[in-house]
Amino acid sequence: MGPVKGPDKNHQLTLKELPYIIRWRDDRCTRCGRCTAVCPLKAIAPEVRVERVVSSEGMVPAPKVTRRVVSVVSQVNDIDRYCTGCAMCQLVCPNAAIEPEFNPEHKFLHVKNKGGDAYKRGGRRNDPNPSTLDMLKFTRISMLTDPALDAGRHEFHLRTYLGRILPPKDLPLKAGGDGRLVVDKGADVFVPPVRQIYPIMIGSMSVGALSPPMWEGLAMGVAYLNEQLGMPVVMASGEGGMPPRLLKSRFLKYFILQIASGYFGWDEIIRSLPHMVEDPAAIEIKYGQGAKPGDGGLLMSYKVLNLIASIRGVPMFVDLASPPTHQTKYSIEEAVAKMIISMSMAWGFRVPVYPKISGTKTAKAVLNNLARNPYAAALSIDGEDGGTGAAYNVSMDKMGHPIAMNIRECYLDLVRQGKQNELPLIGSGGVGKKGNLAANAAALIMLGASAVSVGKYLMQSTAGCLGDEHNRCNLCNTGRCPRGITTQDPKLYRRLDSAKVAERLVDVFKAADTELKKIFAPLGRSTELPIGMSDGLSVGNKEIADALGISYAC
Amino acid sequence: MGDREIEIKGNEEGRRISSRLMEERIQEAIKQGARQLHITADGQHGIGGRIWPREAPVRITVEGPVGQRLGSMGMEGTEIVVRGGASDDVGWLNSGAKITVLGDVTNGAHNAAAQGVLYVQGGAGARSDTLTKHNPRFDPPQSWYFRDVGDSFAEFKAGGISVVCGVNPRNPDNILGYRPCVGMVGGVIYFRGPIMGFSAADVRQAELTDEEWDWLKDNLKPFLKAIEREDHYGLLSKDKGQWQKLVANTKAEKAALKKGKVAVEEFVKGVWENEVGVGGIFAPYITGDRSVLPYITTGEDRRNRPVWENEKYSPPCACNCPTHIPTHRRTALIRAGRLQEALEYVLQYSPLPATVCGQICPNLCMQSCTRGILVDSPLSIDRLGSLSLDVKAPKPAKKTGHKVAVIGGGPGGLSAAWQLALKGHQVDLYEAEDKLGGKLELCIPRERLPQKILRKELARFGEIGVKVHLGARVDRKKFTKIAKDHEVVIVACGAHRPREIKFDGSDKAVSAYDFLRGINTGKALKLKGAEVAIIGAGNVGMDVAAQAFGCGAANVTAVDIQKPAAFGKEMEAAAKLGTKLLWPKFTQSYDRKSRTLHFKDGSSLKADLLVIAVGETPVVDFLPESIDREKNGWVKAGEAGQTTDPKVYAIGDATRPGLVTNAIGQGRVAAEAIHATLMRYDYMPEIKNQIPYERIKTVYYEACQTGVSSAGGDNYSKQGVLTDADRCLSCGSCRDCHMCENVCYWGAISRVERPGGGYEYVVDDEKCIGCGFCAGICPCGIWQMKENL
Repeated sequence: MGPVKGPDKNHQLTLKELPYIIRWRDDRCTRCGRCTAVCPLKAIAPEVRVERVVSSEGMVPAPKVTRRVVSVVSQVNDIDRYCTGCAMCQLVCPNAAIEPEFNPEHKFLHVKNKGGDAYKRGGRRNDPNPSTLDMLKFTRISMLTDPALDAGRHEFHLRTYLGRILPPKDLPLKAGGDGRLVVDKGADVFVPPVRQIYPIMIGSMSVGALSPPMWEGLAMGVAYLNEQLGMPVVMASGEGGMPPRLLKSRFLKYFILQIASGYFGWDEIIRSLPHMVEDPAAIEIKYGQGAKPGDGGLLMSYKVLNLIASIRGVPMFVDLASPPTHQTKYSIEEAVAKMIISMSMAWGFRVPVYPKISGTKTAKAVLNNLARNPYAAALSIDGEDGGTGAAYNVSMDKMGHPIAMNIRECYLDLVRQGKQNELPLIGSGGVGKKGNLAANAAALIMLGASAVSVGKYLMQSTAGCLGDEHNRCNLCNTGRCPRGITTQDPKLYRRLDSAKVAERLVDVFKAADTELKKIFAPLGRSTELPIGMSDGLSVGNKEIADALGISYAC
Repeated sequence: MGDREIEIKGNEEGRRISSRLMEERIQEAIKQGARQLHITADGQHGIGGRIWPREAPVRITVEGPVGQRLGSMGMEGTEIVVRGGASDDVGWLNSGAKITVLGDVTNGAHNAAAQGVLYVQGGAGARSDTLTKHNPRFDPPQSWYFRDVGDSFAEFKAGGISVVCGVNPRNPDNILGYRPCVGMVGGVIYFRGPIMGFSAADVRQAELTDEEWDWLKDNLKPFLKAIEREDHYGLLSKDKGQWQKLVANTKAEKAALKKGKVAVEEFVKGVWENEVGVGGIFAPYITGDRSVLPYITTGEDRRNRPVWENEKYSPPCACNCPTHIPTHRRTALIRAGRLQEALEYVLQYSPLPATVCGQICPNLCMQSCTRGILVDSPLSIDRLGSLSLDVKAPKPAKKTGHKVAVIGGGPGGLSAAWQLALKGHQVDLYEAEDKLGGKLELCIPRERLPQKILRKELARFGEIGVKVHLGARVDRKKFTKIAKDHEVVIVACGAHRPREIKFDGSDKAVSAYDFLRGINTGKALKLKGAEVAIIGAGNVGMDVAAQAFGCGAANVTAVDIQKPAAFGKEMEAAAKLGTKLLWPKFTQSYDRKSRTLHFKDGSSLKADLLVIAVGETPVVDFLPESIDREKNGWVKAGEAGQTTDPKVYAIGDATRPGLVTNAIGQGRVAAEAIHATLMRYDYMPEIKNQIPYERIKTVYYEACQTGVSSAGGDNYSKQGVLTDADRCLSCGSCRDCHMCENVCYWGAISRVERPGGGYEYVVDDEKCIGCGFCAGICPCGIWQMKENL
């Protein structure tokens, strides 16, 4: 038997390696334990510390040793229990005694691969720099040159079209009895379904990825926006189906059903078909997403409880992987032909069907295929800053394509074909990343998107998601979301009030609506979105200006 | 010029004069004292404005095509009557003029008027009455329209009174135009007739109050007179009900409106759940409570809960001791002032604490002691063993009537016999030699194990009623009889057959067993001045080396094919005497004649005596074939010594080479298993993991600088400032210090006496928030935080 070893202190991390360092104030702490009770990764723990004071009183050296062992709150230097900076400790501390502080010198990625496990996390790309969208400015301000509109006074009709728009010459119109134009139903022309929607859509976040109160909160907010405020905001379901209660309700018309490579939840959708009182807003076929380009979905087993198992039609407590590709479809032609037509058929060709891809250099190839497909309703491109997924850090941080240029190139490609008003482009990926929801949306629209899709911003603004560009929190994949947004643990998700989420969603859209008007009014636009109106954009970077084909202004 | 009437023409001899000339002429005339001006306009702009109050009012009548901004910036005392219609922005920025237009006005009438009156006989164009003000120092402006007004009426109206009479309107369905009152924050609009909406975010429609109705009726008269429509007074004043007003919403009303028609919460209950079902879309899947939880929770809703895991883990000392002697319990007894009990307690585990723990054991307990590893030096558990030397034998339990035989009186056999006898079984112990003790007696150098200690402990062994058969060598026949006469037989015969290594001259070598045994039995070799070589540098080799020096050897060299395995006391003793170690050395041959040991590497060593100390294998020929053996002759035995014959157990060196303490441990484990079998209950070995060192809060303990150490003396009597019992960290075993109870902010932990004696610390779940302070402060690592699933 070899010598017995004690704990290995030689290979420990210093706290300086970690991305956040806990600042704890002994003088303020009452040792109530709220912080340690709430810490999602147990990155802080109660400990004991010895204080040993050697003192001397009087006129000559007279050493006195005083030794005290005191209870403290200390940060754990275990990489599995690193402080994520979520600041729940600060939130619950009644005495302002504790807070995490970002450590710019951290070496997190040097060490976050214990056991050979590549770092996985939630959230999206971490990049504290402003995105291209954030750098774009609206430089065309009409005052005396064009009819100036007043965002506070004039009526605006901020709507966009989801669905393929036939050019007038292709529309099977004929004169009706009263002299008005009517659709000639006898003509052998397919008139694609088109929805008039609000240009900011809610991106795909699945039941499962999100907690029940979060998902339902968003859904309720969407219903409210539509029915109480007349804002036709639509929300995509994400992969993983929908509860039949929603499928069979009239609210279905505000939702886009997503089908992705895991095909989760589709049996419930198909079974609900005969009971549907409304068609869904659209069908989104997911081929890729911005959060993890080239990678599939993964719902960890501890999130697959009764709720998710039932809705997705799988056993409980299994890891649910969606492959990166649709298993039986290998080419654009095949995928598009099979999926779009099948999905269209399911709802009698009454519902727009469009694919969603990650931002990529090959987006134009997909676009050109869709442009020739009469059933394709749109193309949704999710840029590198997009997504709210759980994925490998390398996929999130280093893969994908910035959305601005991807949308721009695709739009200009459509322009060259004269089809820019036919096939809508939906852009997403970092819209609202720095908080500029409306400005980013407007910029993307003016670069050529017909609509934008938003996810992360909404989690942050409607439910207080803590995630930031410094890898703060990003615990979505672990089921330990301290806000209750991305967890299936009732102890956590019950922290979130779905009605409050709905209320905040309404706030967000109302405010964004005002901001969009403030941006579009000086452009003289109130009834038509300035899609592709790139002469109203400038950027203070010549290279970006040239790449996007917009003006340079400094 | 006084009161005389001045006429100013906008067209002279067929030529229109400019607005500038017109203005200069008007101002000049008034300067000259004119107070009645008759102007024939020809599209000139801004007529009648900017006339500062004079002693008497300035009255201006205008005919002909009027340009824009008539009466703009009009002042108090100016009265303008237009005989016909007027163009855009009549009364723009009016600051007090009274303007009467006997016709229609076009867009922007009274825009930004702050005082004054505008009477319009016809209707107004778009964006009239926008941005009107009411300066509290003056009366509010009034705008009266006999017919109707155009679109975007009264936008951003901040004050003033507008009256729209709705007589013969151009649009019979809407007398206020499209979307009036956007941004209106003050003032009032009285209107009579149908409208089609207004900016509801800004204004609301209401009935006129009586005061307002009175005011309206009073002020209608001068208006109608001015526009020459007095005949309509009856029509317009006959029914208050025909009139409505639009007033700006207050801030509170606007805030309420902004929230939406229905609050989101109401919408959820009233609309959402009405459509999707009560409880929302996920209700069918979620059975539990769905109320909102605070971040800090207690009871079921806690994320973590503390568990008092007293004695769940073994302390390192007990865990690493093959006999699992719970030293932490002994130190607890000593701390409680029960030293004697502590010294007696060890006999429940070993019959030979002074011999083994105190003398010859490498003390794995001390090697693993948390105190030694993390604070200063380990507890002197060896001394504690020695202190039990004089303790009397415990009283055996009541006789059970079961009979067990033990073959072999070495440490393993003694241990098994001791345990079984204490449990009340009748034990026959068969020993081939004429003394008990096995290798303790025969092989361990007396320097390391003084005979009087062994004798004393063996004497104590003799007190518990084990029937010892000395000189009872067991052969196959005898074994059969023993097996027949007993319910269980324990084979603890040890290992005596030296393992052989074949090389030229190996037959001339002496085995370590024979060499050591010879010394302890008085047949020592004379080795004065001899060179001794030992093949095998393990602990037995070291004992051989030490004994060889004792026999007078000049030099002793132990060789090995690998890094010597010797350690501890044996190694120290041999090294102290000057034993040399050589490795790696592969023996080639031993030449007895030249007394040289040759190695395969060509080197050689002088060796008057060659001792082979590479271990022994057991001699178990007496066992029936039904009992399986390992390759090298060791008896195949399970954890508790079970062999392939359910009646036969085997322990100690008969089953595998080991330390004396291993043999004692196996004896005890086998005894436990046999006891269970005999007493007909299931044998459940107590398996405890060692408590992780990390769980012990060593910061409570200061490294001893002036206190005692294991270097000598009696460390367990209360003479020093800190005895070893106090130095014990009580790893994994509650020391009843109340730290947890005191640290708990929520008062959730309390200590309760157990009915049957003893105590425990318990958690009040309804108070506990699961913070982990109890676990964080516990010196002994008892509290553990578990996920509260």
